[in-house]
Amino acid sequence: MTDPTTGRVVIVTGGSRGLGAGIVQSYLDSGDRVATCARSRTDEVARWESEAADRFLFQEVDLADRAACASFVKAVVERWGGVDVLVNNAGVARDGVIALADDDDVDTVVDLNLKGTLQMTKLVVRRMLSGGHGHIVNISSIVGLSGYRGLVVYSATKAALDGMTRALARELGSRGITVNSVAPGYLRTEMSHGLDEDQLDQIVRRTPAGRLGEPADIARVVQFLTAPGQDYLTGQVIVADGGLTA
Amino acid sequence: MSSETTTVRQTVSDFLVRVKKGRDDLPDDLALFGDGLALDSLEAAELSVVLEDTYGRDPFSAGGDLPQTVGDVLAFYEAATTP
Repeated sequence: MTDPTTGRVVIVTGGSRGLGAGIVQSYLDSGDRVATCARSRTDEVARWESEAADRFLFQEVDLADRAACASFVKAVVERWGGVDVLVNNAGVARDGVIALADDDDVDTVVDLNLKGTLQMTKLVVRRMLSGGHGHIVNISSIVGLSGYRGLVVYSATKAALDGMTRALARELGSRGITVNSVAPGYLRTEMSHGLDEDQLDQIVRRTPAGRLGEPADIARVVQFLTAPGQDYLTGQVIVADGGLTA
Repeated sequence: MSSETTTVRQTVSDFLVRVKKGRDDLPDDLALFGDGLALDSLEAAELSVVLEDTYGRDPFSAGGDLPQTVGDVLAFYEAATTP
């Protein structure tokens, strides 16, 4: 049984389903203490609360709500004393061409993907500064690099996260805090549900690895970037897409 | 000088020792930045967290002008306790 007083303290935003859930599971498997937040509770969250109660914390939080973000981070620090790893995973997409985009949908995507991530990062960086170390990973996307028809706003926010990664790495490097992005390709999660089977088949055909990605593929990269002693690789965008954009 | 002021000054002094910028005295007009304590922006952020953790609020995050001197920091807490 894992000692609940040891292991890194890890925050994963949006960890109740999909890629986020895969990352949460990975850190629980590596013996760490994991806090995650999402807008709604899932069966996966209930399972973790039951199976890893002393190493798992969940709060229902809308990242666009600054006060809720602050309350969540405060709860983590009060329970475990600090934060070692932040994985900014939470994100939302609204598909459709920009010319027909609903203004509220644009706000929703920007508020959560970008402003919410900046707010969470600010709160956690304050804790990491006082701790003198830390790892931050921003989950961006290959569409932030290549673009994708019908995902203009989402692509814009993901490209912005990569810019944030580079700036933050420069800002925090002297304090032993690394900041990197992981840009996944197309995964078999809810986020790819906007694509029909023909589109997914076409993506698989064009992918050297010959398959869609799985959350575990990305979690392995995140674990590598946040491994203890990994203090030199920073400010980078690591593309994990099975070679699709190679 | 109120006991709160003395306590806050001690908190600032302890922080400065931790970041290897400790001093024997901390007069009110001593600048936090530049030729004074020469805090850099990240050290100011660290001091902000220390003060927030200790007193529940801090003058760097309060939304007004950033404190420029030790006295500005003390004044923030004096104002909070003045009836």
